[in-house]
Amino acid sequence: MSGLIPTAAEAELAVQAKTAMVRSTGYWGGVARRLSRDPVTLFCGGVLLVMMTAIVFAPVVAPADPFQGSMLRRLRPLGTPNHILGTDELGRDMLTRLIFGGRLSWIMGILPVVFAFTIGGTLGVIAGFAGGKINMLIMRVTDVFYAFPSVLLAVAISGALGAGLGNAILALTLVFVPPIIRVSETVTTSVRNLDFVDAARASGAGAFTIVRVHVLGNVLGPIFVYSTSLISVCMILASGLSFLGLGTRPPEPEWGLMLNTLRTAIYVQPWVAVLPGICIFVTSICFNLLSDGLRQAMDVKG
Amino acid sequence: MLLYLVRRVLYAVPIALAVGLFCFMLVQIAPGDPINAIVPPDAPQDVVEQVRRDYGLDKPLPIQFALWLGKVVQGDLGTSLATGRKVWSDLHSAIGNTLMLAFAASLIGFILGCVLGGLAGTFRGTLVDRAATTFAVAGVSVPHYWLGMVLVVIFSVQLNWLPAMGAGPGGSADWRWDWEHIQHLVLPAITLSVIPMGIVTRTIRGIVGEIMNQEFVVALRGKGLTRWNIFVHVVKNAAPTALAVMGLQLGYLMGGSILVETVFSWPGTGLLLNSAIFQRDLPVLQGTILVLAMFFVGLNLLVDLVQTALDPRIKRA
Amino acid sequence: MRLTTFRRALLAAAAALPLASAAMAQGTIRIGMTAADIPLTHGQPDQGFEGNRFTGIPLYDALTAWDLSASDRASTVIPGLSTEWAVDATDRTRWTFRLRPGVTFHDGSPFNADAVVWNVRKVLDRDAPHYDSRQVGLTASRMPTLRRAEKIDDMTVALITSEPDSLLPINLTNLFMASPTQWERLRAAAPTAEAAWNAFAATPSGTGPFRLTRFVPRERAEMTRNDAYWGTKARAERIVLLPIPEANARTAALLSGQVDWIEAPAPDLVPQLRARGMTITQNTQPHVWPWQPCFLPSSPLSDVRVRRAINLGIDREGLRTLLGGFMQPAVGTVPPGHPWWGNPSFNIRTDKAEARRLLAEAGYGPQRPVNLRVQISTSGSGQMQPLPMNEFLQQDLKSIGVNVEFDVVEWNTLFGNWRRGCQDASARGVHAINVSYAAMDPFFAMVRFYDSKMAAPVSNNWGQFNDPRFDALVAEARTTFEPVARDAALARLQAAGVDEALMIFIAHDVSPRAMSPRVQGYLQPQSWFVDLRLPSIR
Repeated sequence: MSGLIPTAAEAELAVQAKTAMVRSTGYWGGVARRLSRDPVTLFCGGVLLVMMTAIVFAPVVAPADPFQGSMLRRLRPLGTPNHILGTDELGRDMLTRLIFGGRLSWIMGILPVVFAFTIGGTLGVIAGFAGGKINMLIMRVTDVFYAFPSVLLAVAISGALGAGLGNAILALTLVFVPPIIRVSETVTTSVRNLDFVDAARASGAGAFTIVRVHVLGNVLGPIFVYSTSLISVCMILASGLSFLGLGTRPPEPEWGLMLNTLRTAIYVQPWVAVLPGICIFVTSICFNLLSDGLRQAMDVKG
Repeated sequence: MLLYLVRRVLYAVPIALAVGLFCFMLVQIAPGDPINAIVPPDAPQDVVEQVRRDYGLDKPLPIQFALWLGKVVQGDLGTSLATGRKVWSDLHSAIGNTLMLAFAASLIGFILGCVLGGLAGTFRGTLVDRAATTFAVAGVSVPHYWLGMVLVVIFSVQLNWLPAMGAGPGGSADWRWDWEHIQHLVLPAITLSVIPMGIVTRTIRGIVGEIMNQEFVVALRGKGLTRWNIFVHVVKNAAPTALAVMGLQLGYLMGGSILVETVFSWPGTGLLLNSAIFQRDLPVLQGTILVLAMFFVGLNLLVDLVQTALDPRIKRA
Repeated sequence: MRLTTFRRALLAAAAALPLASAAMAQGTIRIGMTAADIPLTHGQPDQGFEGNRFTGIPLYDALTAWDLSASDRASTVIPGLSTEWAVDATDRTRWTFRLRPGVTFHDGSPFNADAVVWNVRKVLDRDAPHYDSRQVGLTASRMPTLRRAEKIDDMTVALITSEPDSLLPINLTNLFMASPTQWERLRAAAPTAEAAWNAFAATPSGTGPFRLTRFVPRERAEMTRNDAYWGTKARAERIVLLPIPEANARTAALLSGQVDWIEAPAPDLVPQLRARGMTITQNTQPHVWPWQPCFLPSSPLSDVRVRRAINLGIDREGLRTLLGGFMQPAVGTVPPGHPWWGNPSFNIRTDKAEARRLLAEAGYGPQRPVNLRVQISTSGSGQMQPLPMNEFLQQDLKSIGVNVEFDVVEWNTLFGNWRRGCQDASARGVHAINVSYAAMDPFFAMVRFYDSKMAAPVSNNWGQFNDPRFDALVAEARTTFEPVARDAALARLQAAGVDEALMIFIAHDVSPRAMSPRVQGYLQPQSWFVDLRLPSIR
């Protein structure tokens, strides 16, 4: 899954398209129009929205208590009255566990990307705009992290630090900072050399103003789109860490961990045991397609 | 050209050093006194002090790093806390097994990816394209360890066609290329191949689509060249990129096989890492990660060099 | 597992077979272990008692051994490499062990008094050239009073303890005799003693019924029958050990015919295994899965009435159902009928009315429930299925007015806290701790919990229990050397422990195994160990 992190080339395409459009009016209107004509992206967005609502309002939506089980009704099949998705190995309602489990899974899937977006974006813009030695320093350190396949990097850091939600998020953030730095640097460098920035510089604008008005205005979009494409990868990586026992601890519900604890049940109630995997799969594929759709909508050539 | 090659090789040296530094720091960031990561908890005090001196843990960090590096360069990755064996003695067979698994998965992924990507690129916008693309996205979005579990239930337990775990009747030590052994490789390799399959499909689709739209291909078509000639042309142009993507994928799979190896009890580096994490056997963790990362650095270098040799455009750069 | 008459007959027949035909039995038994790695093979295995079971007892012998020949009575200590032993009448810290004549190591060298002295020194004498600090941790704690060995003549040794200790012969089952000759030979080619031990682990030489013939780290170990064994020879020609830590993979391996025998199948999969014709075996183990109380005044469990009430309030049969039948209700450290049982007057059973009465007497009731906090782990060796089991107890005890809350920690943390005691900050104010223990050795089963000198952090008297009466009972047992009288003293200690309800006794593990019907002659004793000489494959 390490190879899942898209290369900078894709984002470069995006920036070329974007910078070409930047002066034309109605760019965002165009994006919205194109998105509205893309049923796959809309559908994925819809699925994610429903999931997010359920997760946020879990205590209201969920039919039962996620921790309250009963030994008498463990591992019930799908369609059991009162337990529409069955029960888990401790007799807890699966639907409830999945809804509550989504909370940690989404947090572990999104938070590292948000952190990485903030840290990597800042460093990348600094590297791209400052150039010279600062660029050199930041980019060479980034290269070192590129020398690790991402799964290995995540496992190494959280393995050394020990199991725990915080350590897992820290490890995943470190995995995603380098690629975001690279993309931001590429994007910033290409924008910096564009005519209108030169013009601004000639007109005597200070470095800070140039960054704020022109550079940031034109680079944030592509970095953002690129970052959304990482959420899918992060979800899978995070659930993998949990599956290995490096994420959260039982009895806290989390999809990767549920998949782990339900492993023996896969022979008894296979359909119940695969549910957390399906949740991860659906979330991940929706984020993937949504990000594809966004990029296409923002890319004129697409 | 030669200058580029030399520069590229030289550039790998500081990277390798920095990777070494990172692996060295892994033991430092681990909670607790690093000495506890090296000696067993029940070791007598004088042994602890002896090891502290041997490893130079009483010295400043930069000197410790230099000492550690010196040992690593001589092939001494330290001693496992759990077994007392040299880390390298367990690691070298594990690397062979993971390499075999990663290679098989890359091969399957590459072939499937080329076929799907080629079809999608040739028939852009059609139903074939849609199907291939969906398949590719599914491949990169599926939690593959989960896919592995499902495959075991179907093919090992229900159908009893393929073995569920391990590396053959004699373990990996007497691996032979006969069906009795190869059947153990099938499920883990297929599970692991979905990622490169998805990525190669995407890449090939992009390249093929681009080439097919190039003016001279359109012109060639006009001149009445056969499909075969066009195919050869496409392959020639797509090969360097495809191979580069594939080479890197092999490296990613080497480092990323931990989950699949855990599900299938495949005796590779992933299983080694997994048990090292749970026994908090930091010397094994450190050694395994170092070797895998170095392998990846080397592979990156190799891919760059081969790509330079194959692709005339890079020479001019 | 109860032996059927048929199996009994089979066993009797097997025992009656002349040696020659036993040696002719063929076959390789492949065993899936729960360990993540092959237990150490240099003579002092790691991986807990699973290590002793698979790379200790089959490859080596100790001076004393466990009787693994019956499934219907408690396993006791029998002669091993020593044929008889006695404590010195005047100096009760000095034992003499007479050695078994005519025993040779796998490398052909003779087993004698020098070998015993050498093996004691390997873990107890820091100045010995072959002292191995890595083996100390696995060994010294299991024989806390042994100090040194002296050769008296070629076939007699003296063992010296730090204080009079009648439990020494039981402890000695854990000190396996490795071949000094083989080690010296390897030492000549190795740069350090440590390297020599590593080489020894790859080519070990003991006196056991099997020889290690192949060793692939982390993957497999192959043991071949030792046809020169001094005792009854093994029936299977080869045993292959495969580490498969993941319960699902183990089951799948058995179902797809990759192994013939797996340790600890997941209870959920047992019906599936039975449906496919696999044999499931179990027997009582000298193991206790308890809640160990804290006796500090602030703890409600410092009141014996509360401890008794909780012991009476637990539905152990319900728990057994939860585990698919894979447990034995615990009503003491050892089951009734055991030589150490001692007929306690407090009869542990399920009697919720009596439990409520006792609680009311202690001042608790519907208006004032007992609030109990228990520290538990998510997993761990011997912990069975801690989460579901504890959750069951939590629901069960509500019915007698006991509210249980859990402090869930990692297994290693729990195990570490066990040694720190309930007065320590690590206990986080809990009133009981859920750490299971082996009960084959009285020191581990009782002494370390009941003796005030063993109060944490010295040993595992986590609850800081302190009662001179128990100290006296412990001292009496340790200084009674005549075996029958010693067992009687231990029985008094056991009975007193039950009467005072020093533990919330909950379950004994039954070490379930699943094996293919092709495995013949297997016998599961009431022990953590198995005699691998008995089974063969059809």
